[in-house]
Amino acid sequence: MGANHSRGTDTQDADLHPVALRGELIASVQPPRGLPVAWLRHGLLLAFLGLLWPPAVAASDSPVLVAHPNVQTPRLTRDTTRAIFAMRQRTWPDGQAVRVYVLSNDNPVHGRFVKERLAVYPHQLQLAWDRMVFSGTGQAPTRVFSQVEMRERIASTPGALGYLEMEYLDDRVQVITME
Amino acid sequence: MLLAATLLGGALPAAARADMLDTLQLHGFLSQALVITDRNDFFGPSSSGGGSLKYTEIGANASIRPHQDVLIAAQVLSRRAGGDGSDARPVLDYGVVDYQMVSNQQRTLGLQLGRFKNPFGFHNQTRDVAFTRPSILLPQSIYFDRTRSLGLAGDGVSIYLEERLPRGILRTQIGAGKAQVGDDVERALGLEPLPGSLESQSSAIGQIRYEHDGGRIIAALSTASAEAEYSSTVAALDGGQFNFKPWIFSLQYNAEKWSLTGEYAIRKLSLEGFDGFRNFDTTGESWYLQYSRRFLDSWQWFVRYDSLVNDRSDRSGEVFESQTGRPAHSQYADDVTIGLQWAPVSRLLLAAEYHHIDGTGWLPTQDNPDPAETSRRWNMLLFQLSLRF
Repeated sequence: MGANHSRGTDTQDADLHPVALRGELIASVQPPRGLPVAWLRHGLLLAFLGLLWPPAVAASDSPVLVAHPNVQTPRLTRDTTRAIFAMRQRTWPDGQAVRVYVLSNDNPVHGRFVKERLAVYPHQLQLAWDRMVFSGTGQAPTRVFSQVEMRERIASTPGALGYLEMEYLDDRVQVITME
Repeated sequence: MLLAATLLGGALPAAARADMLDTLQLHGFLSQALVITDRNDFFGPSSSGGGSLKYTEIGANASIRPHQDVLIAAQVLSRRAGGDGSDARPVLDYGVVDYQMVSNQQRTLGLQLGRFKNPFGFHNQTRDVAFTRPSILLPQSIYFDRTRSLGLAGDGVSIYLEERLPRGILRTQIGAGKAQVGDDVERALGLEPLPGSLESQSSAIGQIRYEHDGGRIIAALSTASAEAEYSSTVAALDGGQFNFKPWIFSLQYNAEKWSLTGEYAIRKLSLEGFDGFRNFDTTGESWYLQYSRRFLDSWQWFVRYDSLVNDRSDRSGEVFESQTGRPAHSQYADDVTIGLQWAPVSRLLLAAEYHHIDGTGWLPTQDNPDPAETSRRWNMLLFQLSLRF
């Protein structure tokens, strides 16, 4: 989702299907007006997808993925994003080292990012980090204390990846689209 | 390892060196338990006085990334579980150079060289770290202490592949190397009083693990093979072969507030080439089922049923008793456990649990040298405080 992307929840589909996946998906499948059958089909498809991935629901105001401006990968799949935040994958797809920044587990923005974007629970992620750190298979992410600090660290660290709410974005960081 | 990092650092320009040192991480943990039993001793003299405090785990690790594809990590562990203070002598728990040769949106492929922790069941790799355990004691039928050194880690090489599928992740790890055979194995096999020692030979491990839908459902199949040879000045004992081949099937369902976990293990254990009395070839069986529930953010309770039989062809242990004169109840253990965990802050974990046990199948022989003096039914209460950084 781009930084300048409109919120997307004002489309009718989103109102009809509160479990719909994300703004851009809704936008991309929005049918032409006056085709009720196709319209219904899309609606059912979305509802069905929603049923298949119950925790994967991301409201359009979920925190967005944010990276250092020198990162050459504008899009990440959710599985890759999850693997990076779980600290199992240590590089961007082009080989650059990735530095992961997170807020503390009890921060509501962290909770929303993890649940809505990664579709896992914060306690699962913490357990995954502990298992990496204490078995020699990986490192822990770097913890920051606020979104302002998150933004500053990401803006100043090559290869950095984190997340921010829309209102904390500025032009020193790059928004990464998750597909 | 730090030395290696320093050497690597020396060859790099200052900026790259600063960047690399930026990746240095230090972590550690400390756990102290109080174990109280009514009959039988577990991890020290738990049935007398106010219980035993001889269950302590302390670990510290360092990791660094000298290159974007390379991770160097090592951990030192001091663990006392019963035994005297010398058991707590710090040992190298793991020490690996991990190289990820492929890392893209579809897969990650890497290898670990050195002493690597065996991915065995859900818990083996971090079995000594309280924060990663659902309970103070892991289900003893599978993660028992008697021969823990065998399955803990291997010295050699391990390769892992993570493949991202449309609805989940498939992770495979295969390792080969030299198993560790500690005094615990000789003690468990009754070889301790004999003149000789077990020397580890090759070991191999493999795990295939599937995580569905971000870990909502996790299934894993693990297997291992560890071999050791007995060398002795006594001809009748020299060249005896010890062989351990376990399989574990693991399954877990995770919801936001609760998890249901089950593991089933089958263990082939054999000793051959000794004088007839000591040779054996048995297949043991273990399983547990556990329900755990989180509440009020930082609390969790669980209930578990855990069952072990040493020999599937003699579940009640009666044949064993008639052949050896040792109690039948030493051949099985059924453990009902309830417990509570509280993490008031993320660096602190307090836990308590109660076990009601029928059988002494996993009771440490070190704490109970005379099997005839053990009781079949016993109860155990544990408290544990854990810190980490």
